[in-house]
Amino acid sequence: MPKTTPTGRPADTAGRRDFLKVAGLTLGAGVLGLPRRARAADRVEISFAAAKWYGKETIRELTEAYNQSQGKVHVTHIELPPPSSSTEVHQALVQQLARKNGAPDVFTQDVIWISEFAGAGWALPLDQYVSAATRTEYFPGLIQACTYQGKLTALPWQVDSGMLYYRKDLLEQIGAKVPETWQDLVTVAAALQKGGQAKFGFLWQGKQAEVLVCDLVEFLGSNGGSVLGPDGKQVLIADEAAVQAVQFMYDTIATSKISPSDVLSWDEEPSRRPFTGGQAAFLRNWSYVYHIAQDPKESSIVDKVGVVPLPHFPGAKSAACLGGYQYGVNASTKNREAAVDFVTWMSSPATQLHFATDLGLAPTRPAVYDEPTLIKAEPFIHSLREVYVGATPRPVTPKYSQVTLALQSAVSRALASGDVKTELTAAKTRIAAIVGA
Amino acid sequence: MAQVGVRPGTLRRMALRGGAVLIMLWSVAPFIWQLSTSFQEDRALMSPTPSLIPHPLTFEHFFNIFAVKHFQSYVFNSTIAAGVSTLLCLAFGALAAFALSRLNVRGRFGVLALILSVSMFPQIAIVGPLYLIAADLNLLDTYTILIVIYLALGLPLVIWVLFGYFDTVPREVDEAARIDGAGPIRLLLQIMLPMSLPGLVTTGLLAFIAAWNEFMFALAFTSNIDHQTIPVGIANFTNLYYVPWGDIAAASVVVTVPLVLLVLVFQRHIIQGLTQGAVKE
Amino acid sequence: MRTMAAPRRRRRGNWAPLLFLLPAAMPLAVVTTYPILQGVWLAFRNTALATQENAFVGLANFRTLATDDLFWNAWRHTLIFTGISTLLETAIGLGMAIVLSEYFFGRSLVRAAMLVPWAMPTVVTSKMFGWLFDGQNGVINWLLRSVHLISRNIDWYGSTHNAFGTIIAADVWKTAPFMALLLLAGLQTVPKSLREAAMIDGASAWQSFWYVRMPLLAPTMLIAGMFRALDAFRIFDLVYVLTGGGPADSTEVLSTLSYKTLFSALLFGYGSAISTAMFITEALIAVGFGIFIVRNMRRGA
Repeated sequence: MPKTTPTGRPADTAGRRDFLKVAGLTLGAGVLGLPRRARAADRVEISFAAAKWYGKETIRELTEAYNQSQGKVHVTHIELPPPSSSTEVHQALVQQLARKNGAPDVFTQDVIWISEFAGAGWALPLDQYVSAATRTEYFPGLIQACTYQGKLTALPWQVDSGMLYYRKDLLEQIGAKVPETWQDLVTVAAALQKGGQAKFGFLWQGKQAEVLVCDLVEFLGSNGGSVLGPDGKQVLIADEAAVQAVQFMYDTIATSKISPSDVLSWDEEPSRRPFTGGQAAFLRNWSYVYHIAQDPKESSIVDKVGVVPLPHFPGAKSAACLGGYQYGVNASTKNREAAVDFVTWMSSPATQLHFATDLGLAPTRPAVYDEPTLIKAEPFIHSLREVYVGATPRPVTPKYSQVTLALQSAVSRALASGDVKTELTAAKTRIAAIVGA
Repeated sequence: MAQVGVRPGTLRRMALRGGAVLIMLWSVAPFIWQLSTSFQEDRALMSPTPSLIPHPLTFEHFFNIFAVKHFQSYVFNSTIAAGVSTLLCLAFGALAAFALSRLNVRGRFGVLALILSVSMFPQIAIVGPLYLIAADLNLLDTYTILIVIYLALGLPLVIWVLFGYFDTVPREVDEAARIDGAGPIRLLLQIMLPMSLPGLVTTGLLAFIAAWNEFMFALAFTSNIDHQTIPVGIANFTNLYYVPWGDIAAASVVVTVPLVLLVLVFQRHIIQGLTQGAVKE
Repeated sequence: MRTMAAPRRRRRGNWAPLLFLLPAAMPLAVVTTYPILQGVWLAFRNTALATQENAFVGLANFRTLATDDLFWNAWRHTLIFTGISTLLETAIGLGMAIVLSEYFFGRSLVRAAMLVPWAMPTVVTSKMFGWLFDGQNGVINWLLRSVHLISRNIDWYGSTHNAFGTIIAADVWKTAPFMALLLLAGLQTVPKSLREAAMIDGASAWQSFWYVRMPLLAPTMLIAGMFRALDAFRIFDLVYVLTGGGPADSTEVLSTLSYKTLFSALLFGYGSAISTAMFITEALIAVGFGIFIVRNMRRGA
């Protein structure tokens, strides 16, 4: 049955037909003058600025569904650029929120902006609207990422994280097990390279861009290290755990040679292509790769791919970098009740299920993963539940936008020169100055 | 003593032909490759031996960009924004260049230098403050704001080139016109503009191309498909990470071909137009 | 013979020029002057959108700039890039222009084709070059290996040594034909009679070129070179899309640094200081070219 991939390929016709039927009925009911909901004029008007996504439906259509489902609130959808232009989305949001005039009432924020918006006082704390019991219905890592200085300033929407893709067929050929530690991965990858089954052992993203920090956080976290301490002010990037992790990243290119030096200029797509082209054994990347790998028009490795949580270093646990957009309510909104009502509906189990089946966005509520509809429509998302449980956020600080630039520069230099200790120590000084330690 | 070139005929002709072929390859090869990619499945990009002939041939990319991604809206928006701004650019620029060349403007080279310096400021720094002004005036997501911006971006070049053209028209022409009883407007419209047609065509085309391909301002100032231009549309083909390479190639083909045709039609004028006027013969 | 201006002109000249200049002045003022002034004003403040700071700090930003390694790193790269790419584009453009100045069959087609690199949207050409020069699966590597010029794939973008050169190559590809067209126009103003006279006098093709055409071409070359240098200084799209300034900051230029500071880190004060520094450097470059141009025009008169 043809699926819709997050890439926006032609839709699943059955799903579309159903949706059109429902939409048509609703429209028809309205036209026939069946008991009407309150007129639009009586409704509270709020605006919702959301980053753009392709899928079977658009976010605007989903917003319309909310408008149809009740009569108190009317939401106008404002479309921001897609997440691929995340700097532009960030800039547009910041310029609007900084004016503090209540527009937009509800917005979507990348998980790395949550502390920044909260620290600037632009996001409304939602603790009084979201009970402690409700909070346990979401992934804990996500609630942690949505919390700043003890206050919940974002409501979870969707989640994504890094994961390990591997070639089932190649591992079978040499009788290897799926690696759980990084050392195992090196061994298997090297063997496959030497035996000629794979041109590249392990592909990841080392381009001097945000994705480098994502990869860094995974290697770092899986060694028990981190960039900042829990208080957001202690800088741990030059500690032993970090040095080892970055040294390992450098070694994959220089020593064990399971990664080509090109990874230092590759982000998500250039690293994905050799893998789906059948040239690599292992790949670290986000969830979007799976649908492409299963698409015969895109990939040479259909049905040969497996996905597991990333490996870890001895004595620590697997770490997956947390990504995805979440909801926020404007602190200056003049329609607090309406905004909260809308955001609660968007974050409800039913809507999350809808987002999963129609837009391919993974739910942030573990319970939704067990829904039969989801299991049938998106078995891959269903299988990712374990991966997302271990998702860890990037450094939580309102100055993240400066911290990430400093990290990108320092780690890129470390990976280019091999002077890991020197570059990380320099990074520590820079970052300490930024977060005001 | 005198040594006229040995065997000038054949050697020279061969060198010319070779040079021409190289130039063609240089300019067109990547575009041909894009053309080929737009008809291939994305999977073929990864094959160890890239092939110029699509095999299998597919039209899905062209179908995708028009039926699924509504590329035609972006083309329409770009045509409006670039077309209107170019026409206005030529009109305003001609007026200004005429004033600087013919009407007594004190410190005219200072004015020209000011215009030049305005175009030297990094555009990135202008986006922020402009965005705030536009938001205040409710001009976000309109054709107006794009037209005004592209107008300002294109005027310096147009004014400079047309000034160069007008300045080389001999003053005797002015005198003759005045004797005939023509005012400055008629002088401009009926005499100087027709004489500067190549300059108009060239700067018009360059201004059009610049506006057609402009990315940064369009991205910052428009947020929905009703007003977004082609470069923004192409950038938005990428949802989250996945780059639909075939679709992008198809879009770039659709976008470049009309420009090339325009150039083919006007190319004689363009070459003349880039001359600063003076042919000392 | 007739060099006097009609006396009537002076009275009319007062408001007519203003009226003629007004339509052009308005968009220029609104779109560029006000934001530029605000940009310079911001350079003296510590405006940071995220923390909502907005205080006057005098020259503090510039003092930080003076000792900021990342800034000077980008500044150096930008100057080197500007110098090399302008030189290469002018030289290659000149070669192309010479070929095109002679008549041959299909010349119009070649001239039209030459605008293709310039006409393709930068968004597309950047991504396209990224893919052409991909270290593992790019066509360039495949071509070079097919003709045995290299034995192993070159890592064009991942190596700090190569990345910068690859960006220069991409820019030269895009702009050399454009320069060629500008220079072609200049070449065509060299009267044929002069060249013929030189040939009759016994000059070789090379001498004819160097001593006859070049001096007359010089002003055009200088002006075209100046515009190109000013444009090259502000390079952004190529670098941002292809390498993001990396690896290891080896391709960071002033525009990308400014962009990151302004829109990623949201430091509008410091970012404006960087933009102002860019502007000052560009003004110096323009003045430098200007001196040469004026001197050249005086000499050639």
